[in-house]
Amino acid sequence: MLRTSLRSVRAVGSRPVAAAAARQWQPAVARSAGAAARRCFADGKKASIDDSRPVKLPSTETNSAASSEPPSLRTESYIDSTIIEPKDAPLTPPAPEPVVSSTKTAAPLPPPAPVKKKGFFRRLRNYVLTLVLLGAVTFGGGVWYSRINDNFHDFFTEYVPFGEQAVLYLEEMEFRKRYPGHSVGGTWNKDTGAQVKISPQSGASWRVADSGEPAGRQSSATRDVAASKTAASAPGSAKTAAVTEANPAPDSSEKELKPVAKSSEAPKAAVSPDAAFAEPQAKAKKSSRSSRKGKTDFKAPEVDEPSRFPPASPIDPLKVKDAQEPVVQDLVKMLNDIIAVVNADNADDRFSSTIGKAKNELNKVGSKIRDLKAKVESDAAAQVTSKVNEFETAANELVGRVEKAMIGQESQWRAEFEEEMKRIQSTYDERIKTEIEKEKQVNEQKLNNKLLEQAIELKRQFLKDVKSRVEEERSGRLGKLDQLSSSVKELEQLTTGWNDVVDVNLRTQQLHVAVEAVRASLEDVEHPRPFVRELVALKEIAAEDPVVNAAIGSINPSAYQRGIATPSQLIDRFRRVASEVRKASLLPDDAGVASHASSWVLSKVMFKKQGLAAGDDVESILTRTQTYLEEGNLDAAAREMNGLQGWAKTLSKDWLGEVRKALEVQQALDVIAAEARLQSMQVE
Amino acid sequence: MPETSVPAPPSTVSRPVSEALLNEKWDRCLSNMLIKSSLGLGFGVVFSVLLFRRRAWPAFVGVGFGAGRAYEECNYSLKQASRDLKKKAT
Repeated sequence: MLRTSLRSVRAVGSRPVAAAAARQWQPAVARSAGAAARRCFADGKKASIDDSRPVKLPSTETNSAASSEPPSLRTESYIDSTIIEPKDAPLTPPAPEPVVSSTKTAAPLPPPAPVKKKGFFRRLRNYVLTLVLLGAVTFGGGVWYSRINDNFHDFFTEYVPFGEQAVLYLEEMEFRKRYPGHSVGGTWNKDTGAQVKISPQSGASWRVADSGEPAGRQSSATRDVAASKTAASAPGSAKTAAVTEANPAPDSSEKELKPVAKSSEAPKAAVSPDAAFAEPQAKAKKSSRSSRKGKTDFKAPEVDEPSRFPPASPIDPLKVKDAQEPVVQDLVKMLNDIIAVVNADNADDRFSSTIGKAKNELNKVGSKIRDLKAKVESDAAAQVTSKVNEFETAANELVGRVEKAMIGQESQWRAEFEEEMKRIQSTYDERIKTEIEKEKQVNEQKLNNKLLEQAIELKRQFLKDVKSRVEEERSGRLGKLDQLSSSVKELEQLTTGWNDVVDVNLRTQQLHVAVEAVRASLEDVEHPRPFVRELVALKEIAAEDPVVNAAIGSINPSAYQRGIATPSQLIDRFRRVASEVRKASLLPDDAGVASHASSWVLSKVMFKKQGLAAGDDVESILTRTQTYLEEGNLDAAAREMNGLQGWAKTLSKDWLGEVRKALEVQQALDVIAAEARLQSMQVE
Repeated sequence: MPETSVPAPPSTVSRPVSEALLNEKWDRCLSNMLIKSSLGLGFGVVFSVLLFRRRAWPAFVGVGFGAGRAYEECNYSLKQASRDLKKKAT
């Protein structure tokens, strides 16, 4: 599936190329356009076989071929193909078979060898080209990116060939662009490969100050360049600074040795024997020269020996003993030049005599000059001695005068000095006096101050003492006051205690009053009435008394809500109750109507007892109760009535309750009264 | 005093005093007997008129029945009361 789609795409893509071919040959285009319908068309023509030219296959052709054609042609061909196609055009995805078949048909048709060769070369070339292009682009990209990313820079410079150089070059370019003034300094990069030599005299040396240039360590590139320039200007010296350093040293040595050989650079001076101490370079030159002229001279090859031998030339250069005179020097130089010329010309024989003469003359001249010099010197010495004598006398006089003046001045100065000293002493004395006075004053002041301080201190102490005394006094009085206040407090306590006592008394009185009020409310009225208010007042007065509270709590609430019956009422009611009880007095245990009726009838005929009748029957109990009631003994009456049984008891129940209530109230009141009495007794 | 006079009436109304217990029972018994005997009398009279050709004894029998019934009831109530008393005592 994938392959077929690819193929179809390729066929479509190669269409323009095919069109390009179509401009030259129509059938080939038609075939390359690739459709089954066109195969028959191609078969019909088959012109491609006859054609000598190799058929261009779309697959072999490159897209970037030079043979590109105007699009109009392509459209024509396309139209042609479309005109032919529609009858049996394949469905949307062109089947792979037609392409294969076309290739099959196409493959045998052209002579395969040349086509393939050409295609191969072209492909190779293109491949190489693209490879080179790609490589260049990646290299360039790498260089560019290595300037951005440090990690990549390391990687690139380490692993990619020529990468480091390229990156370095680029950086240098940028550096130059950024700092144009340093463009000269770029040269120092180049001699990195060269071996660096350090001269033996570089750095610190025993010499205090070198007459030569202040060479040595190269502090900067520009200076180094200048040094190299000077080195280049010097003949026969190397470019490096080491040699330039080495140059002046022999120069100075030569100067010290001999003034004649001052210009050692000149080759004539090199000829002189003193130049043997010169640098080996000069020696080599000389040797070369000697070898050059040594066609006649046999001693030339032995020059490696000490350099005194080579000057043993046919004519010796002049040696003058007294060559101090400049004139003689010049003459000697001239003569030496001449000798050198003569030597160079190999005309030694001819000029040897004349030159010998000249030498002698020169020697003579030298001696004369020396004599002259000696004479002049002696004269000068005499003059000098006389002058010296004169000057000495003058000097002595001068000295004497000066000494006199000095002495005078000295005495004057001394006097002045003494005067000054005296003045200064006096002033200092004065100053000292004043100082001393001041000191004295200050001391006095200080002493006064101290005295004052002491006085103040004493005063303070006195004050303190007084204060402490006063404090003591005060504290004593205060102690007394405290005692007083405590006693007053005690008194207060006592009074409060008495107040309490009074209060308690009052309360007990109130209690008494309240109890009396309750009792009065109970007794002095004909009918029973509630005594709640009196009881509440009583309770308020004896709020914290537990006994009173308990007594009040023992009273039945209905008693003080409705009031209790008076004794007369109780007796009245007892009469009624007694008649009823008598009616039921003869009832048996399990009484019916008949027994009730009989008891009622029989009770009418029973005898009545009197007084405290002895016995346990109902009649006697009733009579006893009645007597107790008449005596006013409610308690005993209640007890008697409580001893009844059966119907009699039930009938007398209400009356008994009444009596009990009255008794309870009475008891409680008694208790409260006793409590009040007790309290009043406790207070006393 | 209004406060003293007010609470007294309800006590008498709500609960009879203990000494009036028996009297009350007797009252109930008597009224009951009267009613029952009169009822019996009435029934006896009707029976005598309708069935027994105005004979007297059916009326007496009726009264007897009524009185007997009332007596029994009264007896029962009294015994019950005495039993209740015993239970309370024990």
